[in-house]
Amino acid sequence: MTAVETDPRQDAGVTEGFDVGRVVQPDRVHGSVYTSPEIFQREMDTIFRTGWVYVAHDSEVSEKGDYLTRRVGSDPVIVVRGKDGRIRVLLNRCSHRANRLCNAPQGNAGSFRCPYHGWTFSNDGSLTAVPMRTGYGEAFRQVREDLALAEAPRVDSYGGFVFASLSPEGPSLAEHLGRATRAIDRLLALSPTGTLDLRSGWMKHLHRANWKMVVENNVDGYHALFTHASVYDAVRRAKVSHVPSKVDVVVRDLGQGHSEIDYSAEYRKLDEEFVWYGRAPREKLPEYVAAMEEAYGPEQAHDALVVGPPHTLIWPNLFLAEMSVMYVEPVAPDETVAYTGISAMPGQDRFNERTLRRAEGAMGPAGFLIADDGEIGMRNQAGLAAHDPEWLVLARGLETDIEDDTGIVNADKSAETPQRGFYRRWADVVGQETRG
Amino acid sequence: MTTTDHTGQDTQQPAAPQPLPPVDPQIAAFLYLEARLADEGRYSEWEQLWAEDALYWVPFHPDDDPRRTLSYINDNRRRIHSRVAQLNTGNRHAQTPPSVMRRLLSNMELLAQEGDTVSVGSNFALFEYRNQQRIWAGRVLHTVRQGPGGYSLVSKIVHLTNAQGPVETLAFLI
Ligand code: FES
Ligand SMILES: [Fe+2]
Repeated sequence: MTAVETDPRQDAGVTEGFDVGRVVQPDRVHGSVYTSPEIFQREMDTIFRTGWVYVAHDSEVSEKGDYLTRRVGSDPVIVVRGKDGRIRVLLNRCSHRANRLCNAPQGNAGSFRCPYHGWTFSNDGSLTAVPMRTGYGEAFRQVREDLALAEAPRVDSYGGFVFASLSPEGPSLAEHLGRATRAIDRLLALSPTGTLDLRSGWMKHLHRANWKMVVENNVDGYHALFTHASVYDAVRRAKVSHVPSKVDVVVRDLGQGHSEIDYSAEYRKLDEEFVWYGRAPREKLPEYVAAMEEAYGPEQAHDALVVGPPHTLIWPNLFLAEMSVMYVEPVAPDETVAYTGISAMPGQDRFNERTLRRAEGAMGPAGFLIADDGEIGMRNQAGLAAHDPEWLVLARGLETDIEDDTGIVNADKSAETPQRGFYRRWADVVGQETRG
Repeated sequence: MTTTDHTGQDTQQPAAPQPLPPVDPQIAAFLYLEARLADEGRYSEWEQLWAEDALYWVPFHPDDDPRRTLSYINDNRRRIHSRVAQLNTGNRHAQTPPSVMRRLLSNMELLAQEGDTVSVGSNFALFEYRNQQRIWAGRVLHTVRQGPGGYSLVSKIVHLTNAQGPVETLAFLI
């Protein structure tokens, strides 16, 4: 039985007097964080309007003029490399009367012309042409520069992953990423060139679940034996045992909302390459292995190929899903779009082809794993319609968490350490004082 | 634009589009069988239709090169077997319970014929009910081979009208 306190739903989410302690506590979260439209709006206003959000990878806008349309929270944006070579994140809204300016998912353009009344903006966001300008009189000249496209005041990248912040102030990207940079480094260590190519296309999978359900599932080390039993029963054994007591696999709260499942100790113990890649023997990947050894020397290459890629959630919306990459766009409290692509290695066509086929097997709407995760997320959302008990329990492993210089670690991979870290950060960000 | 010479006759006019040949009713019947087994979730029987060099492909775009581009589904024969095996566990959550489905296969045209192999293009509409009804539609390209033991399915390529996404779960046999 749950003791009935004052009902948090009555005022949770109301901007004034929002008391985050009534919906997030160290070992549990209130159901309304997944269902309340007010809390969803508050997340858009805080997490997605004040913090750093992943928007694109620099390989997707490698040439001047390359652009993509994406979203930062509920704001549609154009991620574009300008004539000056700089990547900007422009809000996709004509400064005249708000028509959506860019309507293609991607392309290359020196300028964007609004289809409504023909205002034209350079790919650096400045307003360059207004048809029949005399109609505005002399004063217009002065306001013209105020009518540039709005842009994310801060854009920065790490290892090619481009993040934007819609707030002019706040911690730097490096401060925001903190220990999560190691996960990106771990992925880059598998590239013979030290760079990635994320231009292999994106699966767009509609989840009937809150965005947090989708992302926190990715670092849940508890569910696989149950949610994915059909894969292990029918298709292939798990890469290493999913029974926590049998493996050196840890979960880790990296701080600032970032978290991961880390197989590296187990893999190092096995000292076997490509366990994370379907145990492919190195003879099947000769060009890739040769390029790795050429780039890093046999020892370092061997270690990278043993340890493999990260399984790391970068707060709030990016998941380094080993050789896949997933990012999410929240649509509504019960609706999320997950984008899944792969980390291709420049120049390694055969290896990349294999990575593509592996990603299709596991990920996306028809994937052997993610289709079922999506179903579980939908049922989670359906279960939340029952209003008692009010709280979801995240206490697993609370007593066995250990803090070290890598974060808060739990040697039991089924511990809910990543979720606790996620919601600690959530409470800090969503609980902050907001304007108005 | 058409240019007209002084005799008043059209020149350089491309040949008027011609209808494609009709599909052999036996092959059409084989494709209807494929549709019915998929609709009814008769996974193992459906699997038996496939040739060894099978391709079951649901791309993002018809022009995609699968060597460089991700797809929703890109199964070879082995992966088809795994997909069916997973469904047969009865524990594939995204298909428990299975979708109730009926699909229409229409506008069937013979695209090519080479020896014992024919390529057929069709339009399809699929009504899928699971919690709610969804409609899937698109173009489907089948390649069918005639062997001593009857027909086998060499490839099935599905160009969804909504392949641009976002798409809902595709854990059933599309
Ligand atoms: S709304 Fe864009 S030119 Fe008028
Ligand atoms: Fe999962």
